[in-house]
Amino acid sequence: MSGLHDVIAVVGVQKMTELSSGEIQELMGRAGDVMWESPFGTSMPAYYAMYANAHMAKYGTTEEDMALVTVKNRKYGAKNSQAMFQKPVTTEEVLNSRPVAKPLKLYDCCANADGAACLIVASSERARKITDKPVWIAGLGLASSPMSLAGRRGPFTSFEVTKNAARSAYEMARVKPTDVDVAEVHDSFSITEILNYEDLGFARPGKGTKLLKTNETELGGKIPVNIDGGLISKGHPVGATGASQLTSLVHQLRREAGDVQIDGARIGLAQNIGGIGMYSAVSILRA
Amino acid sequence: MGFEKFGRFGYVSQTKIAPLVSYLEKNQIMATRCKECGTLYFPPRADCPKCRGSEIAWVPLEGKGKLVTFTEVYFAPPAFQDSTPYLLGLAELAGGMRVFAPISNEIDRKDLKPGLELVLRPKHAGEGVFYQLESP
Repeated sequence: MSGLHDVIAVVGVQKMTELSSGEIQELMGRAGDVMWESPFGTSMPAYYAMYANAHMAKYGTTEEDMALVTVKNRKYGAKNSQAMFQKPVTTEEVLNSRPVAKPLKLYDCCANADGAACLIVASSERARKITDKPVWIAGLGLASSPMSLAGRRGPFTSFEVTKNAARSAYEMARVKPTDVDVAEVHDSFSITEILNYEDLGFARPGKGTKLLKTNETELGGKIPVNIDGGLISKGHPVGATGASQLTSLVHQLRREAGDVQIDGARIGLAQNIGGIGMYSAVSILRA
Repeated sequence: MGFEKFGRFGYVSQTKIAPLVSYLEKNQIMATRCKECGTLYFPPRADCPKCRGSEIAWVPLEGKGKLVTFTEVYFAPPAFQDSTPYLLGLAELAGGMRVFAPISNEIDRKDLKPGLELVLRPKHAGEGVFYQLESP
């Protein structure tokens, strides 16, 4: 805290469901380059599908691999009473769902949603007075990248912007990826979670799918990810998602996560992408 | 004015590089070159982010390139739903410039992969005019 205030409320809120999916597709797609991309009919799924195809071509990632993200996250969504979708799905159901932007299908995508989350951020002195279980902000990182896809270099198999934000946050917190006990990462689409494993350093480039196949990002694994169900189960009310991710981390670090509590969780990481990788925010919290 | 014709559905009407549309209507793909530092831009730019110069020359673009990545859109924004499914791609042109563009529906889906050689050509569709990636 800069000293201007002792306690602040950070409120995230978004109401999306009064518009049709098509209208939302258009408005969200226009988060991209309105002059050189939108006139061709872009959408969020289309943009992320382009990252998915590049990752598949370079590393042999398959649609079955991506389906594992949805199956995992929907399994935990079934344990989250606040999730939009509280029913597990099978790999077959994901693979047989209708195409949205190939290779992404309906169940590879998070849903438009209504939602809100609130964080109370206090100075360290005040925090100790108002709660017995404060959670400390250990590291923050924020990075940006060119708005248009044409302005970005490389093969589109990772988000430089997440790597840059993560580097700042890890440095500030003085922790390594292997120190993280629980993570909330941006699973706007199944492929996004896989890229995030790699960009956050949980897996080497191209090896994100291995974490899924060996259950290392499940409860009980080395680095449980999105065990509140993620955006794929909770929905993605854009303005609320960042605060919602941090709320889930706070529950874990305060031992208040119920059925999905990780024993001894001390360090949590939340990561959120804005637009189509225009910016990425990484926050590291400590119990 | 005039730039609203760019694309299948345009969102921008006024821009200093609106002549791009007139060139496309004449089946020419033109880039801009900064007269001060010589940097070539495609899509065109009226102002140079490198040297901040604002004097530009229009120069023809050969348009040969290689696919970086792509997708096929099935669920589209309302203005594009009649065109589904359609292909979108990102290609790297000679000299390293990258362009986001539709890929011709004529292309064999099995050939689509990073590195595929394509060429950017003008495309007319209804009232609109734009460019798309096609087989050489």
